[in-house]
Amino acid sequence: MFPKLDPLLHSELRLAVMSILAGVDEADFTYLKKQTGATSGNLSVQIDKLTAAGYITVEKGFKGKMPRTTCKMTPAGQEAFSNYVDALKEYLSAGK
Amino acid sequence: MTAQQSLRIISETFNKSRKDILSNSAKYFMLWGALLTVVSLVIYLLWHLSGKPEWNFLWFAMPVIGYPIAALMGKYNKAMPQNEVSKMLGSVWAVFGAFAITLSVIAIFLVPMRVSLIIVIIMGLAECMSGVLLKNWPIIIGGFILGVGGAVFAMLVKSEAQLLIFTLGGVLLLVTGFIMKLQYK
Repeated sequence: MFPKLDPLLHSELRLAVMSILAGVDEADFTYLKKQTGATSGNLSVQIDKLTAAGYITVEKGFKGKMPRTTCKMTPAGQEAFSNYVDALKEYLSAGK
Repeated sequence: MTAQQSLRIISETFNKSRKDILSNSAKYFMLWGALLTVVSLVIYLLWHLSGKPEWNFLWFAMPVIGYPIAALMGKYNKAMPQNEVSKMLGSVWAVFGAFAITLSVIAIFLVPMRVSLIIVIIMGLAECMSGVLLKNWPIIIGGFILGVGGAVFAMLVKSEAQLLIFTLGGVLLLVTGFIMKLQYK
């Protein structure tokens, strides 16, 4: 029996956002937008979904006079991401 | 989305982000390398031509010029995050800077010491550590040669000729920056 893949992470853009956040302390909204190539609107929607699930936290503030939105992966997000990767590995090893 | 597609997204996104962050760090190696090369050569020439070691005070121009430029570079790249490697690289060189500046001040004003010898050793060590963090053998070997070779050179030569070790160190930092740019292109 295969483990169920987390439906929240099983989406291209949300998975890309989580993959970036897995390797950094925190990332700016503009950085995430540049790295994923997503539109601001779509990225905002997906970030809201990840925030609602408790996988990431979003902090809005200012750097100098410019508004800044920073995203950070939570421990729950790290665990979900790690479980997702483990599940993928099981799928792939079963397919060999 | 298949399992293969998911894994591809994870690995591509993660690696692209890692490359961008470390390629950004390369700029700081280039900045400090260029500055060290120029400042050490200028002091060497001024000391050599005038015979006055007081030109060594120009070393303090390095942080005065370097830190504002580095801050400006960070400002233009404010969205760039930090990962574990870039943070550790920053820490290694910040510690080196703290040691180098403090020891220079002590050597000038309090206790005379062979500050070139000490600084070249810790500089070689910092370069070696950078190579270890970047898993790059040429940088590790370059740092080792700078530290050990520089220490021997500092003991063998006198006065202004010692400054040429730092010119070599500056060139090594520049090369490290270029290697990183190529490695994380």
